[in-house]
Formats: sequence, C-alpha cells, structure tokens
Amino acid sequence: MVDPLRLGRMLADNTLRHGYPLPVDPQVITGWAAEAGLPQPRPGRPVVFTGALYQLTPYIEALVELVGRFRDPRIPSLGLRLASSLPWSSELLLTLLETPEVARGVRRAWGILGSIARLLREAGMRPAYAWEADLYSGIMLYDLGMDEEFAQQAQRVHKLLRERGVEKVITLDPHTTHALRDLYPRYVDGYGLEVQSYLEVIDPSLISTKGEAGEVTIHDPCLYARKAGVVEQPRRILAARGLRIREPQMSGVNTYCCGGPIEGLAPRLSRRIAETRLSQLERASKTIVTLCPICNANLRAAAGGRGDLRILDLAELVGNA
Amino acid sequence: MFILQVYKLLDDKRFQESITRASNNARHGVSKALKENPWLEELAARIKEVGDQVISNLEHYIDKTITSLQRAGAGAHLARDSREALRIFDDLTPDVDLVVMSKSMAAEEIGLREHLEKRGVEVWETDLGQFLVQLENGKPMHTIAPAIHITRAKARRLLSRLGRDPGSEEPEKLAHAAREFLRGKILSAKTGVTGGNAIAADTGSLVLVENEGNIRLVSGVVEHHIAIVPVDKILPDLRTALDMVLVQSAYAGIFPPTYINVITGPSSTADIEHKRVLGAQGPRRLDVILLDNGRLRASKHPVLKAQLRCVRCGRCQFECPVWEKLANHWGGPVYGGPMGLNWTSIVHDPDLASELSFYCLLCGRCSQVCPVSIPLDDIIRWHRTRVWKEGHSGEN
Ligand code: SF4
Repeated sequence: MVDPLRLGRMLADNTLRHGYPLPVDPQVITGWAAEAGLPQPRPGRPVVFTGALYQLTPYIEALVELVGRFRDPRIPSLGLRLASSLPWSSELLLTLLETPEVARGVRRAWGILGSIARLLREAGMRPAYAWEADLYSGIMLYDLGMDEEFAQQAQRVHKLLRERGVEKVITLDPHTTHALRDLYPRYVDGYGLEVQSYLEVIDPSLISTKGEAGEVTIHDPCLYARKAGVVEQPRRILAARGLRIREPQMSGVNTYCCGGPIEGLAPRLSRRIAETRLSQLERASKTIVTLCPICNANLRAAAGGRGDLRILDLAELVGNA
Repeated sequence: MFILQVYKLLDDKRFQESITRASNNARHGVSKALKENPWLEELAARIKEVGDQVISNLEHYIDKTITSLQRAGAGAHLARDSREALRIFDDLTPDVDLVVMSKSMAAEEIGLREHLEKRGVEVWETDLGQFLVQLENGKPMHTIAPAIHITRAKARRLLSRLGRDPGSEEPEKLAHAAREFLRGKILSAKTGVTGGNAIAADTGSLVLVENEGNIRLVSGVVEHHIAIVPVDKILPDLRTALDMVLVQSAYAGIFPPTYINVITGPSSTADIEHKRVLGAQGPRRLDVILLDNGRLRASKHPVLKAQLRCVRCGRCQFECPVWEKLANHWGGPVYGGPMGLNWTSIVHDPDLASELSFYCLLCGRCSQVCPVSIPLDDIIRWHRTRVWKEGHSGEN
C-alpha cells in the first residue's frame, strides 16, 4: 500500500519541476515523434499531444510491481512497514525502475504512438508535434485532489502550446483528452485550445479497408465513454478495417472500470476488478481492443500471460496497414 | 488498518459470491422495471427537481412538516444530532422494556438499537435481513438489502442460536422460523420504531415502502409508533412523496413494491357519537423524530448539497466495482459505497470520508446510474482535495 499523500506530493513535485511525474529523460517522451517524422508546429496544423501517458505507463506498472514486492501477504504488517519506507527519492526510484522490461514497454509505446501518427496521415491529416510542450497533463494530480498543482501544470502546458502558435490539439488517450478538454478550461483563464481525441478526428471512410479481418471486443475507457462521449468513433475505425465487433457485457456509457486508478493504493483490489472486467470482455471475444495504455496494462496484468488472449491497443491492431 | 480488512474480504469466497449475486440480481431487477415502466425515468427526473427545491429551502420545509404533523395529531420533534435524537427517544419512552424495529438506516445512523440495549431494553429488528444482521452482531451491507452477505447456512446457524433451528437451510424454512419468533415479539411490544422513506410537508404523511409486511405490523399493532426520519426525506407534498418512493423502489430493483404505507397521524375513530378518539386498532400515539445530524449544514454546502437529494435506492452501490468487492465495508460506519461515503461525510466524519475517498476509482458508473443525477464521483473527488489543505479537519 502506498501512502497516497506521499505519492501525491512526489508526483506533484516532479511534475512541476520536470514536467513529468517522474524525472525521466525527455527523450523517452518525445523520441517517438522524430521516428515518426512529425514536423514542428506550423500555423493551421493540429498538434499531437501525448501528455506522456503512453510513454510513462511502463514506469507506472513497474512502480506498482516494486511496491508489491515489498509486501509479503503472509506478513502484512511487516510488508506495509517496508512499503512505506520505500526509497521515495525520485531519482533513486527512477534508477530502480529503469529495467530492460520498462525499456521494452517504452518501445512498445513508441510503436503505438507511431501507428497513431500513420493512421492520422492515412486519414489525410498532417499533424505536427511540439517537442518542448508535450508535458504530462497533470491528470493524476487532479484525480488525487491536488487542484492547485494541477492548475499550475495546466497553465504551463497551455502557455507552452500557445507560445508555439498551437490552436488545435489532438490527444491520444482518454485521460489526457479529459484533462485538456473538460478540465483545463476550468483552471486556465482565457483557455484557447480546441481539443479532440485522434479517434474523433479520423474520418473512417478515408482509411483503407485492408487490415486484419476477424472478430474483436472493445473495452471502453470510463473517461472516453462517460465524460468525453467517445464511444462510436473507435468502433467505426475498427469496422472500416473490416473487423467485426462483439459488444461485451457493459459497454459504452455503462462500461466497467479496468481497476487501474487504485492499483497503487490497493493493488489486489485493483487486480480483482481488472479480473472481473477481463472475464466480461473475454466472453465476447479473445481479442480485446483497448483505447488507453492504463487499461491495456491492467487487463494484461490480469490476464497474467495467458496465451489465448490478445489484448491490443486499437492502434496496434489497425495502425500498421 | 482498512487495507488489511480489504484483503480479508477479497479472500472470503462466499462473501464475494454473495455480493456478486446480489449485484447481478439488482441490476436485472432495475433494468426490468425501467423497461416495463419507461415513465419511471421521467418521474426520477422530476424528483431530482423537487429534491433540489426542498434542499435550497430546507428550514422552511422542516417547519412546514412539523406544523403538518402536529395538525395530524402526531408528535413532531427536530433532533439536531444523534445525541439529541436519542434523548428525545428516551423522553418519549421512559418505561419501555420491549421495542420492535423495522429496518431504518436513520436508526442505524444514531445507533438506536445499541443505545436501547444499553438502557436494558429488549430490542428486535423485524426485517428478516436486518434481523440476521442483528443476530450476527454485524452491520447492514446494503441500504435496501442489509443481509446480502449472509448465506443460508449462516442464517440457519444464527437462528439456531435463538433455539429456533429451522430444521433445514431452505430459505422458506428460514423465513418461517424467523417469522414465528418475530411475530411473538411484535405482538407483545408496545413500541414500534420505523424509519420513513418519505414524508410530505403539506400533510405530514409518512410514506413507508416494503415487501415483507413487517413495517405495517410494527407501525400498526403497537400502541406507540415512533418514526425516525432524516430531514432530507421531506418532499413538498404527498403526491411527490409517493412518486419518490416509486422511484426509490424501482431503482432498488424491487418494483412494484409489495406494500406502500401512508401514515398520517395516529389511528382514531369517530364512530361513537361522532367524537374523535385517538387509538382505534392502530397506534394511539405517533411521534416523528426529524433528524438533522449535519443535513441542514450540508444543504448550504456548494458540493455536498447535491447528495441530499439521494433517494437511497442503493443503485450506485450495486453498480460500483469497488462496492461489488467490499460492500458496505467501504464507505463509513453505517452507509457504504459511493453514496455512503458522501453520507458519512455529512452525518459522521468528513475526515474519514476523505481517507476512504482514495479507494474510489472515479470511474463514474455511480453518477451514470443515479436516478437523481447526483455527481457522486465529483463529490468523492472533492473529499480528496480536502486532505491537501492545512488542518483539514475544519470546515472546508
Ligand atoms: S446516490 Fe443516487 S443511486 Fe446512490 S442511493 Fe442515492 S439516489 Fe440511489
């Protein structure tokens, strides 16, 4: 169990200092964009904003696992004491987290981000990327109730984007979309960004129908479905690629959480919720499409390496045509 | 430590199975009721409007309800907090030795049963679920279905302890054994305690919904009926009070309810020379304790006031992924789940609510399904903001 107050303070300190909740090398966050050949912002072009979520998810997973390792279920009180005495210095923590597995996770994230860029181009868009402005959205600070710190980060991100002449932003995940579209306007005076998820800006009729045929099910992220109204768009994109969608029990606005948000505080409870969700999904199809890196990580963890399930980000499934 | 309790519950297979079963049944019940009666959704939207109207003018409606109750011949008492509610109760029942109760979360909230037991009064819960909870010395696990965590085997063990072995684990047998025992108690009790699902400000009518029929007995065969009604249950008039209980039972997944009781004052007769005499077959005395306990203050709070329009259907509980694993163990000492956390803040301890708020997923299913559109997850998140403020045990 992680003390939410200490964790929150650490994440907030890092976010306000480095721009990201962990003091990672900015190259980890932005490196994919050079590979994908995205240009610097130009007038009139929308800018892809990752909010660092895809790239940081492997670190978050590793952090949760690290915390878990300090907790032996047979000696809970001792485990808890050890966990709360974790080396919470961010730099030391980061060193512990930088494992080959995390590096692989970052590569995978880069691959997904590159696929999304290709998908956008395929649909006739010419997105740019604002290297120095692609900071963490701060959404976790908002979720933890740290409104002041969240406001600071929101103002900073807004300023950086506006300084680069950005007017239109394309977000890639539900948390960043919700932050920039629904929350930032409440915390930033004169907010002037038009924010849409990549799923919303892609016209499915423009993307090629060649792709992997077959049947999939889709896990709607809570924020897309209930706050951002993004439900039909990913289905249309999947259908355009020739995939048949089997709806799981609880989909659209009734979607069921992957358990992700409490994985740090109550990992076993979080895991149980992920298992419940996974069983709903796999009854619909063994190929599960996710739209958020956190959902993907949680459902994968719940699947525990089962070979009969494929849990793929939408971009992994349709972005490589 | 809360987290250790969480892990114990996760390991309790029976507990997990019974909550899952209860959640699924309730979901099914609600969707059936809404599909067959589409007008209920409209009614719920109206109740939301009416609820807000009462909340923004709560003092006025409390006064009006008190006047109406008195006009109907009932005693009306306003209790500012639990302590005062118990004191009023004691004053009303100086010589009582046996009390029968029907399930009332308000009575749980003020700790009435424990209080009476301490006074040496014999107390029995007459709702089967609540009765089992009483026998196990536990706490109700859901607003409407308190004993969802108790299996039939456990129910049999509990009843056997009373010397009433039902003979088998058949639910029919269990219910029969409980009924026989409780019938005896109800018939010998002079005082019956109920809650109130709604109360009408214009007539002072108390509206009580149930399936078991114990409420009609507890409120009908005793001499003295005492109802403990939270002030947020006030509706402007009898019409909306009835609408509200229909909404409540539909969204609780029990529609139509078997009984809706409307009680306006004590029973009376004027059959002899047209002279009104209090106490015919029903109670001679009716006292209503209106319970404030933080609600009036919450009605002026920019964030918490929305929770006051809650009809206590418990749907947010059944739909909450965390509740589906922990039931009412998460949320506070009496109320649990998403709505429970916010009620805990209003009536018990905002700091506890803030602490527990970190176990919420903020997934928003609760707000999505709430019949009166309470932004439950926003209110829960607001509880988190409190902990970052200096000296957060104050009012902020
Ligand atoms: S908050 Fe809404 S869903 Fe939950 S019990 Fe109250 S009225 Fe029902």
